[in-house]
Amino acid sequence: MSKTILTIDDSRMMREMLLMVLQGAGFNVVQAEDGVEGLEALSRSTPDVIITDINMPRMDGYGVIEGVRQDPRYRATPILVLSTESSPEKKQRARDAGATGWIVKPFQADTLLDVVRRVSA
Amino acid sequence: MDPMDAIKQTYFQECDELLASLEEGLLSLEAGEADSDTINAVFRAVHSVKGGAGAFGFDAMVSFAHVFETTLDAMRSGKLDPDPESVKLMLRAADVLADHVAAAKGEGAVDETRAHAMADELAALVAPEGGAPRASAAVAAPVADEGGADDWGFKPLKFGDDDPPASPAGWRLIMRPTKAMYAKGHDALLFLRELSRLGPTATTLDTSWLPNLDGLDPEESYCTWTAELPAETPEIAIRDIFDFVGDDCPIELTLTAAVSEEAPAAAPAAPIDIDALLNSVRTPTAEREALEGGAEKPAAAAPAADKAANKNAPAPAGGGATIRVDLERVDRMIDLVGELVINQAMLQQRVTESGAARSSTIAMGLDELEQLTREIQDSVMAIRAQPVKSVFQRMPRLVREAASATGKQVRLVMEGEGTEVDKTVIERLSDPITHMLRNAIDHGLESTEERIASGKQEEGTVRLAALHRSGRIVIEVSDDGKGINRPKVREIAVKKGLVAVDANLSDEEIDNLIFLPGFSTATSVSNLSGRGVGMDVVKRSIQALGGRITISSIPGKGSTFTLSLPLTLAVLDGMVVSVGAQTLVAPLTTIIETLRPKPEEVRRLGPRGAVLAVRGSHVPLIDIGVALGQRAEPIDPTQGVVLLVESEVGGRAALVADEIQGQRQVVIKSLEANFQRVEGVAAATILGDGRVALILDVDAVVEKVFSDRRDAAPLAKAS
Amino acid sequence: MKLPQILDLAAATTLRTQLMERRGQKLALDGGEVERLGGLCLQVLIAARNQWRVDGVDFRIVNPSPAFADGARLMGADASLGDAP
Repeated sequence: MSKTILTIDDSRMMREMLLMVLQGAGFNVVQAEDGVEGLEALSRSTPDVIITDINMPRMDGYGVIEGVRQDPRYRATPILVLSTESSPEKKQRARDAGATGWIVKPFQADTLLDVVRRVSA
Repeated sequence: MDPMDAIKQTYFQECDELLASLEEGLLSLEAGEADSDTINAVFRAVHSVKGGAGAFGFDAMVSFAHVFETTLDAMRSGKLDPDPESVKLMLRAADVLADHVAAAKGEGAVDETRAHAMADELAALVAPEGGAPRASAAVAAPVADEGGADDWGFKPLKFGDDDPPASPAGWRLIMRPTKAMYAKGHDALLFLRELSRLGPTATTLDTSWLPNLDGLDPEESYCTWTAELPAETPEIAIRDIFDFVGDDCPIELTLTAAVSEEAPAAAPAAPIDIDALLNSVRTPTAEREALEGGAEKPAAAAPAADKAANKNAPAPAGGGATIRVDLERVDRMIDLVGELVINQAMLQQRVTESGAARSSTIAMGLDELEQLTREIQDSVMAIRAQPVKSVFQRMPRLVREAASATGKQVRLVMEGEGTEVDKTVIERLSDPITHMLRNAIDHGLESTEERIASGKQEEGTVRLAALHRSGRIVIEVSDDGKGINRPKVREIAVKKGLVAVDANLSDEEIDNLIFLPGFSTATSVSNLSGRGVGMDVVKRSIQALGGRITISSIPGKGSTFTLSLPLTLAVLDGMVVSVGAQTLVAPLTTIIETLRPKPEEVRRLGPRGAVLAVRGSHVPLIDIGVALGQRAEPIDPTQGVVLLVESEVGGRAALVADEIQGQRQVVIKSLEANFQRVEGVAAATILGDGRVALILDVDAVVEKVFSDRRDAAPLAKAS
Repeated sequence: MKLPQILDLAAATTLRTQLMERRGQKLALDGGEVERLGGLCLQVLIAARNQWRVDGVDFRIVNPSPAFADGARLMGADASLGDAP
């Protein structure tokens, strides 16, 4: 059974790139354009892994992570942050919110898949 | 298309949107509307451009965007005020970023010097004293820059290359998961699995802190693990696995060989560190944590980024749902609806020819069909319609640049950005508007001194407006400058032989002289209009679109250029004429009037040339059939009809056709897509009776004839 | 008693509760369906084994699935949980 991944990013280009890489690796992909949509998507599908951007309109990635962790069904679901930023402060904040991993944009397809497999094995 | 190429195209599209919202945001900051939403949106725009640039390896763009982003981040976190000076700088930085995007598209180059200077200026904004610009970041990770420590301040043990451990050594990793680690989707299992992928791993489980089941909190972490890995495993590979989990799963990593045998040899480099680490291995947990405190936990001390400002940002009013559709599909549909319109017209004509009464049910049904067809056509065209905003939003930059090139103070006012027009037209609006704005700033507005002297505001105003008027789009460019200097325009036109010395010209006619080819009011070539193109080029490109351009000017008060264009290039209002056996369509916008010449109005010039006297001036007569190579000899103009047209190349001309069939709206079919380009013919259409008709390219016809007749100098004196 | 397929964070509390309900009984846990054994559930199982040992009652894991055995091995435990102190 292939795993489902929810990708949350306000950039169409990023969403398409993630879709191409993840689908190519056999994952089901559910897409959301911002944090609010991302949390809404949780009621329609049950992702095994969530990949979220940080800087987004309406609700940023930290809000997404906190929101996901508040949902009992997703307490243990790996949440990966995909961001161009990599400052320790930002990472710490994401970790405090409950993030599982951090992938720096731009990402290599292999790296992304590696991290996804690592957290979802 | 290669999927990456497709994504790259998406990225470029997105860049255009992002750059637009960047500029929009900065402009509203400039206008003093500095709320956190705006600053966040501006930051996000630069951030996203950077993100994609990295993905495609546009390194120069990434580094510029990074500096820009850092400055915006300072503004976002309140460390930098969005004062007018900073925002102005950022507007110019946005221009440089746009240059980078254009360069990435292959549409230009980045001025490296300018980009570097701009980056320096941006960086200086954040560090006005010239001190450390990002003090917080520098303090947060003091060890990070030495020796490849990771973000979390783990200080790697370094052994000099000169004295490697002599005996086979191994890595010993102790990992201590915390409750928080499990709570964030991690699992000790996953880390150990990753470690085992690096090489043969011997893992020992320490359950000494584990209570029995009755006292167990099932979500608390009690166990620790020790993993032994081969010495050749790269340290960075081990640390990478624990990179993000950080303090949620503290690790200790040592080389075991050093513990047993090599410690004395390696010690001189950093004896204290190693001793401390050795101690820590043997120290009970509580003490060890005390040892690890302080410097080893830099991240915990830096929750500075805790500005929740953007988290609860109100949702923007959600517009209607939208879908993205491949433009080709829309184009195809527009094409098909065009065919439908033609088909419907053919059907109607056949029914009429069959003698059916207008009141018959068939004819009435056809009327309804016609109505429906028109509505479908309008609706389909509306799909491809876009607001002129995409063109308008490029103009503030242009105005800024033109203002700085001329040293004038200019305020740009834009109206009607939401006015919609067909995509085919939008793409071709940019050049004319650019020219007209440049012209308004360069020639229309006075210098600051002149303005002060004449009691005007120092800052000149240029207004760019779009509106719909009677089924066409109207673009107005006006300035509050000095207006057209008519005596000077007239003088230049006479000097250049464009009008006769004694010509009796109205104000309007004088104003229109500036549209004549070769006319340039600038006595010296200025920075802006020094490209050898003048308003004649503007007029020409407008007419190529089936548009018209007019000018009105009040001395001392300013000028207004008004251009009116069809809403689409898919249909055209044309005059259908016969030339020999051919049916041709002349765009109505080029035709001034139609007339039947009287013999006394035609005057022969040379063996083949002829002119027509029209209200006192002489206009060259051009036989359309000859010009298109359909017949060798011109017909007698008095036996045909004359279309008096306005062409850019040679002013007015009288085109001779055999007869006029009528006016109608035709659906344009690109000729080049189906046939080779034909000189003098712009496109083709299919008429109601199914015949193909060529659409005349009036300019090309006139130009061709003029270049064929090099001896036609006196003809240019048309007014 | 059969162990569930996924033994992760979300399963740990339930697993402990179920085991506590069987306290004092001889127990053979069937690990044949386990697809994933995480650290927290490993803790629960070892704590239970220790508890049963203190109580003097027989506690065994039987029929471990490959995933169970693999997980236990990676985490330094034996599939029978026999080698921990």
